[in-house]
Amino acid sequence: MTDAPGQADAQGDAINYEAVEASPEFQELVRKRRAFVLPATIFFLVWYMGFILLAAYAEGFMSERVYQGLTVGYVLALTQFLMVLVLGLMYLQRANKTYDPLAEKAIEKYSGHSERYAKADNHGNADAAVGSRAAGSDQGAER
Amino acid sequence: MILFAAVNTTALIVFGLVLSVTLGITWWASKRASSAVGFYAAGRGITGFQNGLAISGDYLSAASFLGIAGLIYIFGFDGFVYSIGFLVAFLTVMFLLAERMRNSGKYTIADVLSFRLRERPARVAAAIGTLNVAAFYLIAQMVGAGVLIQALVGIDFTPAVLITGTFMLVYVVFGGMVATTWVQIIKAVLLMIGIVVMSLFVLERVDFNPIELFNSAEKAGKAEGSTFSLGPGTFLKNNTDMVSLGLALVLGTAGLPHILMRFFTVPDAKAARSSVVYAMFIIGFFYLLTTIIGFGARAILGQEGVEKAGTGGNLAAPNLAEELGGGAGTTGGDLFLAIIAGVAFATILAVVAGLVLSASSAVAHDIWSSIIRKGKDSEKEEVLVAKVAALGIGAIAMFIAILGGEGLNVSFMVGLAFAIAASANFPALLLALSWPRFNTAGAVTGVLFGVVSALGLIIISPIVWGGPPGAPDTGAFKWYDLNNPGIISIPMGFLGCYLGTVLSKESGNERSFHELRVRAETGLGSEQAEAG
Repeated sequence: MTDAPGQADAQGDAINYEAVEASPEFQELVRKRRAFVLPATIFFLVWYMGFILLAAYAEGFMSERVYQGLTVGYVLALTQFLMVLVLGLMYLQRANKTYDPLAEKAIEKYSGHSERYAKADNHGNADAAVGSRAAGSDQGAER
Repeated sequence: MILFAAVNTTALIVFGLVLSVTLGITWWASKRASSAVGFYAAGRGITGFQNGLAISGDYLSAASFLGIAGLIYIFGFDGFVYSIGFLVAFLTVMFLLAERMRNSGKYTIADVLSFRLRERPARVAAAIGTLNVAAFYLIAQMVGAGVLIQALVGIDFTPAVLITGTFMLVYVVFGGMVATTWVQIIKAVLLMIGIVVMSLFVLERVDFNPIELFNSAEKAGKAEGSTFSLGPGTFLKNNTDMVSLGLALVLGTAGLPHILMRFFTVPDAKAARSSVVYAMFIIGFFYLLTTIIGFGARAILGQEGVEKAGTGGNLAAPNLAEELGGGAGTTGGDLFLAIIAGVAFATILAVVAGLVLSASSAVAHDIWSSIIRKGKDSEKEEVLVAKVAALGIGAIAMFIAILGGEGLNVSFMVGLAFAIAASANFPALLLALSWPRFNTAGAVTGVLFGVVSALGLIIISPIVWGGPPGAPDTGAFKWYDLNNPGIISIPMGFLGCYLGTVLSKESGNERSFHELRVRAETGLGSEQAEAG
């Protein structure tokens, strides 16, 4: 179709950002996302830096044996992999189930726009193309 | 010709295969990379899974594959600490930046900053951060490429750097982000297959019992002169330095321009999010296997193999492959060595292409188009400038790599790139997205504080002054003995952002912060994918 213009975003005045921000859906989205991301970020930083601090300052403890050649340090390192796996999946699930629908609702109801993406300016036909594109991509990401 | 004195023919054939496949992709991609969104962001048509693979291909450099395997082989546990830091860093990216980058940016980090700050200074600051990180990372990779190809194939250092640089430029100039993405995807697949097959060969020797592998590694590590240990403290001897490195690793990834740029290639935030999760799984699995390779090399090659593994043990993985295939001189050994060398070569190509693309986009999109031409240039002109910039940046990187030669310490350069990314780019980006009061002066001071403190501390660090890592009193000053500046320079970056913001009288950014907030959280008003 049309090439998206390289310059000049279409920050059309028609998008009512203030109304979206003030909406209960948006407030709920921000609150819910923060309620997960903030503690999760603190947890992973503490768990990771704790591991680093132990490796730096508690060599004896980290070198102790759990079973034969398996050291405390290696087991704690494995918990870091587990942490990344679990937090990654938890966030993905929450985002798909809770955050995305809230964001969509906030946009639909309050933005004065049914379309989420910046319009490629001067091209009235951009909307239809984007709609189908976004729907297709959602499926792609879901799989 | 001296050039081809001791060339490994099998390796050369594997290299040729890698090059012809990637060139084929570039030819295919060249038609899709002519528009700006095609050149910088692959038309935003990359799926989450494809982008997850491409992020892995962009991120897992030769330093990860050969460097970490080598460090674990020589020092044991301490090498594994790098793996952990590189992996956990993706939680920082996922929670704090990935989706918000996709929603608020267009092609570069600077787009996010200039959204709510004064455009010209914000873009200059972001471009300084991007170019510094990309330059150090790129030169490190080029030197690494030269050393490796020389050791593995027998082509001399200088022609090896020139070959790598030329192909890197062909991908970027002719195929833009489309070619770069697919080179990265292919490399990620090759690398994963390579490391899985090697790990299976290693595990087969211990009847698939990892504990037995640890035991035999430890037994082999007791040899005279060995530095190997299953516990910490053999490589990172300075405690504060270890903490500093740990901090730079976990925050640095969230400031790497070539990684962040990948989030602009997907259609929406949902795909950006799923791509980080895919990348975390792939990268996590890879880093888990680095211990199998490292411990396996220790158990199988033993202390006798240390000298042959070269500086930092970089050749431990290829040497192990040769041994697993049947040993030096056997057909199996030659073949396995050649395949792993080819995988390492593909690894380097994919990473340097991503780096050059991110640096050239900063020059063309931020400096040329937005600042010099003030947005009056055509899209065609901007893409042309990006290609010229890529050629220039590539030429400079090749020149410095050849000039510095094999003497440049690769891991020190990569460490520096991570430290600058964590100290300059990360604080400014995070605060632009989350602190309503943050302003232009804050962003500029923050980036400058971060770059200057990281660079300055590196210059006076022991490693630059020739001391062995962790040895005291070898730096420029007796009171400063850190090789990684992160623990000081990261707080300096945040401090710069804070001071610049509160000390300047600038205000009136409130409205655009609210816009940015809504856009970052919901994707409202974000850049659409290219139709068709």
